[in-house]
This record gives sequence, structure tokens and C-alpha cells, in this order.
Amino acid sequence: MKSIQARLSLGLVAVLVVVGVVLAQLTLWLFEAGLQRYLENGLRKESENLLVALVRGPSGLQLDERRISGAYQRPFSGYYFRIDFDQGTWRSRSLWDLDMPKPAAPGLSDSHELGPEGQQLLALRADYRRLGQDISISVAQDYSPVREGFRRMQQIGLGMGLVALMLVLVLQRITVKRSLRPLERARQQIAQLQQGQRSQLDAEVPVELAPLVGQINHLLSHTEDSLRRSRNALGNLGHALKTPLAVLLSLASSERLQGLPDVREQMRAQLEQIQQRLARELNRARLAGDALPGAQFDCDAELPGLLGTLGMIHGEGLVLERDVPPGLLLPWDREDVLELLGNLLDNACKWADSEVRLGIAPSEGGYQLWVDDDGPGIPEGQRLQVLERGSRLDEQVDGHGLGLGIVRDIVEAWGGRLVLLESPLGGLRVSIELPRRAR
Amino acid sequence: MRLLLVEDNVPLADELIAGLQRQGYAVDWLADGRDAVYQGQSEPYDLIVLDLGLPGLPGLDVLAQWRAGGLATPVLVLTARGSWAERIEGLKAGADDYMSKPFHPEELQLRIQALLRRARGLANQPTLEAAGLHLDESRQCVSRDGADIQLTAAEFRLLRYFMLHPQQILSKSHLAEHLYDGETERDSNVLEVHVNHLRRKLGRSVIETRRGQGYIYAGNVA
Repeated sequence: MKSIQARLSLGLVAVLVVVGVVLAQLTLWLFEAGLQRYLENGLRKESENLLVALVRGPSGLQLDERRISGAYQRPFSGYYFRIDFDQGTWRSRSLWDLDMPKPAAPGLSDSHELGPEGQQLLALRADYRRLGQDISISVAQDYSPVREGFRRMQQIGLGMGLVALMLVLVLQRITVKRSLRPLERARQQIAQLQQGQRSQLDAEVPVELAPLVGQINHLLSHTEDSLRRSRNALGNLGHALKTPLAVLLSLASSERLQGLPDVREQMRAQLEQIQQRLARELNRARLAGDALPGAQFDCDAELPGLLGTLGMIHGEGLVLERDVPPGLLLPWDREDVLELLGNLLDNACKWADSEVRLGIAPSEGGYQLWVDDDGPGIPEGQRLQVLERGSRLDEQVDGHGLGLGIVRDIVEAWGGRLVLLESPLGGLRVSIELPRRAR
Repeated sequence: MRLLLVEDNVPLADELIAGLQRQGYAVDWLADGRDAVYQGQSEPYDLIVLDLGLPGLPGLDVLAQWRAGGLATPVLVLTARGSWAERIEGLKAGADDYMSKPFHPEELQLRIQALLRRARGLANQPTLEAAGLHLDESRQCVSRDGADIQLTAAEFRLLRYFMLHPQQILSKSHLAEHLYDGETERDSNVLEVHVNHLRRKLGRSVIETRRGQGYIYAGNVA
């Protein structure tokens, strides 16, 4: 898709050139026609003067020299005539030794006849009958200065036209840029939207853009709404299923089943499976993923609460440190990020002896996240296995094996990569690379 | 130890109450959020287990009203909505711990145990230790100098309360309020009998009597 600016410029130039050239040519042509008509009148008068100067002399027709203008006497003066009649041809003295051809037809003939000194002649041939003879008088005038004038005018006009065209283009560029500024602003806001720096587009836009911006805003709030609704519905579903499940779990471990250890074990195992599956799928379904372009996670605002919560859950003995640049915003949904970090840190806290560290840093292609603990760690050979099983990593401690499973779901939804490494603190480092959102 | 359980699901509440009573807790049960706001503030509970999805008033609002009213009792929140965002909200509202449904009954009991100790500023160890005695809450027996001594349920409840409040004078009415739920008739003679049983098993000096004031736990001082 070409830019609007280029299209407008191209269109404008084409229109201006066509209209300008046609108009200029037409003007010149009309002007020339008018001038020729004026000159024709003069020439006709000249030919009539010559006719009057024809008198009957002693040896037939004779031209009365006194009655004709001096310009016909001076060689190459620019005014010429020839008079053709039965007995012969008279040429004006100004023609000197050059011959002026007789125009083929009476009337004005355009300057195609080349006269002396390369002069272009405008000739008028008029046929009369006088003193009993057919007389054809051709009067010509040097037309070159006029032609020259016209050419100069054409050149000046062309130059001025070009200058005007440039001027128009520059002005048009400025105007277009200025009138497209709201579009540019909208584009920047959409970029900010993608980076999570705003959640709505500015509604203060020109009338032409208003429907578009309005529609985008509507879509955004609609997406947000339906996400909230579906999260709510999932929460309700979870609530509806989890409470009975809690009753069943409690029943399964009650003393009433003491006499039936097999049944009890079976029930517990099956309930455990239902519970894990349910929790994982509900969590997965809750993920906003990339649905919300305006989402953002304010590290400064959210992390203290999260770490405080973890500190409360895991007791005072644990040191929870964070290594996050101030003012960092992550372009993902708040609840998703909390879920990711909460599970990661919770997992680390369960295994750590005394210290857990969270690090977040912007990297070249996105963001780098890492969680270190000083616990026992996982031997290199088993890390892949742990990742594949995912959810089993924390089972021994909590009995609710979810942590890394849901973490992996989130990371996958964001197109990131999760690896297990050795932590500088001695335990496990879970390192996550997250790409910046493409669009 | 007297607990308040606020949970609207009757079967779950029944199960929880049965389990908690087996652990020697006196449990009052409420199902409506509005009742909970009042009763939580008027009765001297040692711990409250609060479900968030309540009829009448949402659990988080109940909690917020308690905290606004200056109630310092530890609150363990129980919820089916286990996302971290909601967990943080709950703890910001003043919860002390958070458990998402479904859970294992043993885990709830461990969390309650830990929360009660934390509220008293005690370390979270497998056994409760105070002045030379070790109380194993899961087996409900006490060990002194490495020798296990079996306790009845009533003795266990009484001794646990004493051990969670060492060096503190506890009147009979205070003990009665914290050892029996709201529906049990409180008879101070019964308390005296249990105190005497404990003294017989653990030695006379383990609980001292302050005349006119009540009892004080002294422990196994040689």
C-alpha cells in the first residue's frame, strides 16, 4: 500500500500539469488568433492602399510611387508586397533580390513562407478587379518578432508553471502532513497501546477519524468486558465445582472410611486427579494471553504486594529480594503476570532455605525474568524431566501440583521460553525469556 | 482454642467442623456474611476461617469491616478463586493466610496450627514447646524428658491453650470462653477437674493457681 502523501502528490501533479499545459496552450492560441486578426486588418488596409496606388499610366498599369509607404522601399524592412496581374508581377523594392512566393489562395496565410533573413512572413492575398484587369495583391509583414515574443512568453510561462508546481507541491505536502497529523497521532497511540502504555485511544480526533477511533475503543472495551465476563464465569464454575470437591476430599480422608483403606486410597487418588486437572484447565482458560492490547503490569505497584503475600505465606525466615529496574512496565495482563510470578516465586519459596530472588530486566528482544532460590536445586540430568512433567515439581511440598505447569502454560501463551539453570545462590534458577509483543 | 468458621456450603462446613473438633478446637459456625461481621467482633475467637463467597455480604467486605473495627484475630481465608491476583487482594484486605479450595483437611489443620502459633509469636515447629514440655498436636500427646504421656481430648485442649499462653494469668471464665463453642454450657467445675487431671499427669507445679485470679502455666520447671 502506497502512502497517502505519495498518492495525493502524484494525483495533484498530474492534474496540474494537464490542466496547466492545456490552459496555457489555449491562451496562447487564442491570443495569437486575435493578434493575427488585428494584423490581418492592417494588411488588408495595406493591400487596399496599394490598390488605390495602381493608376492607369501611359504604358498600361502603373504604381504611383508617392502613394505607397516608404517601408516598401527600404530593403528587408519587414513590409513587402507583390502584385500579380496579367502582364506580369511587381515586387516591392524592400524584397531586394529575393522572391516572395504568391500565396496559393486569397486570404491570410500563416507564416510558413520563409522570406529574406529568415524572416517569417504573415501574408495576405487579396484579389481585385480594377481598370478591367484581374489583380492579385499579396501583402506580407515580418511576423518573426511576434513569433519570438510568443516563444519567449511560452518559456517564461513554462518556467513560472514549474515554479508554481513546486510551490503547490510543497504547500500540499505541508497541508497533507498537517491534516494527516491526527492519523499519525492515532498510529502512535496504537503503538503505545501495544506496549501497554495506554488502554484506550484518545477520542479527541477529527470527524473523519472519529468512527475508526470509536470503533477501536469499543472493540477494546468489548474485549476487556468479555474477558472479565468469561473470567467471572470461570470463577463461578470453579467455585461451583471446587467446594463440592473440597467436601469429597474431606470425606475421603475422614475416619468413616478407615475400615476401607483401598476405597479411601482410590478416592483420594481420583479426587486428586480431578482437582489438578480442574485447577490447571481453569487457570489456562483464565489466561488473557494476547487478547488485550492495552494490558500492562506495573512492577513498582504490584511487586511489593506480591512479595508481601509470599512473605506472609512462607513465614518471616525467608528473604525475598527483587532486582527490578524502577518504573518497569510489562506489556501483559496484570492477572496473568501475577499468576506467573506468584507460582514461580511460590515454588521457589517452598524449596528455598533462606533466600529467594526475583529479577526482571528488559532485554534486546523483550524481557528476561529469573527466579533464584538457595534450596537443593535440581541435578542437570533431571531438569528436562522435571520440565516435561511440569506440574510435579512442587508436589512433594504442597500436595497441590500446579506451579510450573501453569507457569509453562502462561509462558507458552506469550510465546516465551522457560529454562531451568543453576542459581548463583546454589539452588535452582528458573529463567524465562519473553519476546516483546509483535502486534 | 475457639474458632469461628464462616462457610455457606453446609456439607463442607459439616466436614470441616467435624475435622476441627477432632483436633480439639471449639468451633462456631455461621453461614451469612452479615452475621459474621457482628459475631466475629463480639465473641473472643482465637482464629477465624472465612470463606469468600458468602451470602449476605461478600467475605472480603466482612474481613474489611472486621479490620476497620480493630479486630486483630488471625483470619484464614478459604476460597474457590485461587488466582494470585485474588490472593493478594485478600491479604491486602487483612487476611493472614489463604487457602484455595479444594484442599486436604490435614493441610487446613496444619495452617490453622501454624497461624495460631504465629499469632502468639512462636516458631513453627513440629511440636509445640513451652517451658520444658513438648506437645504433639497431631497425636494429641505431650512428652516430658523424652517420655510420652497420653492425654484425653479435654486435657489436650486445655494444655494446648495453656502452652500457647505461657506465663499469662488465665481466669476460669477466659478459659471457658476460649475452650468451648457458643452452644456448650460452661461449667467452671469441669475446668477444675481437667486442671487437676493435668496436674496429676504432669506434676503439681505445671499449672499454678493464683487465688481469685485464675491459673498460670509454669511448665516443667525442675
